[in-house]
Amino acid sequence: MTQKVRHKGYFAQVRIYLGKFIRMFAYQNDWKVLPIGAAIAALVTVVVGANMFVTQEGTFNGAFALTCVCIWNGFFNSIQVVCRERSIVKREHRAGLSISAYLTAHMIYQLLLCIAQTAVTMLICFIAGIKFPAQGIITPFGMLDIALTFLLTTYAADMFALMISCIVRNTTAAMTAMPFLLIFQLIFSGALFDLKGFTKSITALSISRWGMESVCAIGRYNDQPMVTLWNTMYQIRDIDYMGTQPVLEAMRQIQREGKMNDFLAWSGQHNQNMAYASDPKQLLIKWGALVLLLAAAVIVATIALKFIDRDKR
Amino acid sequence: MGFFDIYNLIRSVGSLVLLSIGIFLVMKKLHGKYAWVSFVPIGRYNVLANTLEIPWTGVICAVLELLLVLCSVAGSVFKGENADIAIALTTLIIGVTLFVYRIRLYLRVIRVFGLKRAWIIWFAVMPWMPMIVIGIGKRFAPRRDVRFIEEWEAGTDPGAPVAAHAKKEKPTEGLSVEVRERTVKDFGKKRYLLKDIAMDIPNGSLVLLLGGSGSGKTTFVNAVIGYEQANATILLNGSDVYKDYAHMKYRIGFVPQQNLIRGNDTVIRTIDDAAQMRLPASTTTAERRKRVGEVLDLLGIAASKDGLVSKKSGGQLRRISIAMELVTDPELFVLDEPDSGLDGVIAREIFDKLRNIANEGRIVMVITHTPDRVIDLFDKVIVLARDSSRIGRLAFYGTPQEAREFFGRKTMEDIVLAVNRKDAGGEGLADEFIERFAAMRAGKGGEAQ
Repeated sequence: MTQKVRHKGYFAQVRIYLGKFIRMFAYQNDWKVLPIGAAIAALVTVVVGANMFVTQEGTFNGAFALTCVCIWNGFFNSIQVVCRERSIVKREHRAGLSISAYLTAHMIYQLLLCIAQTAVTMLICFIAGIKFPAQGIITPFGMLDIALTFLLTTYAADMFALMISCIVRNTTAAMTAMPFLLIFQLIFSGALFDLKGFTKSITALSISRWGMESVCAIGRYNDQPMVTLWNTMYQIRDIDYMGTQPVLEAMRQIQREGKMNDFLAWSGQHNQNMAYASDPKQLLIKWGALVLLLAAAVIVATIALKFIDRDKR
Repeated sequence: MGFFDIYNLIRSVGSLVLLSIGIFLVMKKLHGKYAWVSFVPIGRYNVLANTLEIPWTGVICAVLELLLVLCSVAGSVFKGENADIAIALTTLIIGVTLFVYRIRLYLRVIRVFGLKRAWIIWFAVMPWMPMIVIGIGKRFAPRRDVRFIEEWEAGTDPGAPVAAHAKKEKPTEGLSVEVRERTVKDFGKKRYLLKDIAMDIPNGSLVLLLGGSGSGKTTFVNAVIGYEQANATILLNGSDVYKDYAHMKYRIGFVPQQNLIRGNDTVIRTIDDAAQMRLPASTTTAERRKRVGEVLDLLGIAASKDGLVSKKSGGQLRRISIAMELVTDPELFVLDEPDSGLDGVIAREIFDKLRNIANEGRIVMVITHTPDRVIDLFDKVIVLARDSSRIGRLAFYGTPQEAREFFGRKTMEDIVLAVNRKDAGGEGLADEFIERFAAMRAGKGGEAQ
């Protein structure tokens, strides 16, 4: 009769594979993702940094750009990690590897990587002189709220790419899918196009939308001044109407009375967006959406990889 | 309806009719069944794909065509800006996917008729025209070496039964194999891959598994180790491999043809991780390290254990791959081409190691395409052959010397040539040897050797 022998279970396998991935971090030069992420964040903050969390436009552009940086980092962390070793995983699965344990080890490893990348991005933002909101919405510190949002965004993108890596059979297919994923995130972020109806509802599946809305909410977008109207007025100040220049006159009047800041604040009040409301409940919903998206990605990844034995030889 | 509308209608209907005629003519040339379906709009690509033995491509084409029709219906039912955008996007995605699948089908037509790949441009732009040209042109004929239609039917007939190999008593030691049949469902058809293969292999044997390409060696190995289970009974030292596969898989080692090892880890950690995964949970760290050390010594890789796997030579990689499985001390050890890509000296070294492993009382089964340089090391030879029904069967099981006498050939490679199909460069004698071996066994009372 066969003697029943117990072998390494879920947690032991997670430990073994986590150790393996951490060793490979050093041997495989995976650490290079940190300076690359830092370089990308530096480029973005140089462009958008000065007005972020100062004006509505600066906050909006900065939130979009930094959310894109997080998504980019997340995608590139894991888009190839499973598909490049798919045949190895198949061999190991044949010899007793639990797919759930393997993916859990990846999740933990990628979380550590995302924490490191978020720390680097925050450091770059700090060095670039971005003035983070002093007061947080969930935590006492705005900087911590922003860091948590960046982490969730990066990690959700990371898990989404991990899902793709589990579905496709090779790295070529993964890298082919990559631009489409990025374009989807750009289009359905809600930042570039005014989406309505069916297309608007698709944005619920976009990491960029929830990441961006969270940053804008924490940055108190709705309380900030808007400068676009003033700048547009400045550009059309010389328009002549029946021998007068009403725009220029109005601008001079506002400046004479020292009401320019009031005007900018008034512009901002009329440009508020309820999606960016600085409400703790709303922010938790946005973070929850990111968590749901990453959880869904992990579930799909696990199911997809469970069928690895069906791969052709 | 204006002139251009009438012109467009005639052009669309005309090209569809011409395409149907083209597919019909090509189907006739391929001797495909249900050629008349070529005139059924959604079914035409499906029937062509079936004939070309890519049935799933046909099904997908048919489904996508159906979806396009539904999109067009939806377009006339649902109105509004958002609906228009959604339907247009869906139509675009389905249309592009359908185009890709059709290109795949056209490429198959090009391959079957041995045409230049540049024909695909013509197919992509105006598919009905090349179809008709191929269908009518006398110089266009399916290539002789293309056997898609036969392949599609192949293996669906179990063929004449051979003498039963089933044994009355199962041994409690060694490996007892009784594969009654191994089949797959291929698009609704039952296809036989293996049939009537039985043998008993004693412990301590180094066994050579021979057979030409497509004879079912890997299928047989996967059935024996329980990875792809067949209608079979496999007993390893009295334990049923299939009934308790979850535990038995740890008693079986399988080394695949490719070196499926992560390059960016050290040799010692790679083997140690494999040991942790495969050894019983009760194994202590000291016991595990001792076992890893023994395997490193046995395979001669102890000196390079601290280096990265990616820096190792081909021979060392094979040894690492073997070590990962050997570390559990398996009772049955199966290796798929362990000498692939290695020179004679290194290959000999590896087979010497395998001989030593077998000498420790394990069964070592090896697939190799260059057996003659190491045949002196083997105890037994299994010869699998694909019969005229294209089913893998047992053509011989016995010692290497008995194999030479049975086949009347001096080398193992000549034996493979004898049972290989003629179109694969062999002598096409598979049926003859399968029957002779079955008869020889029946003469011995049906007992597996």
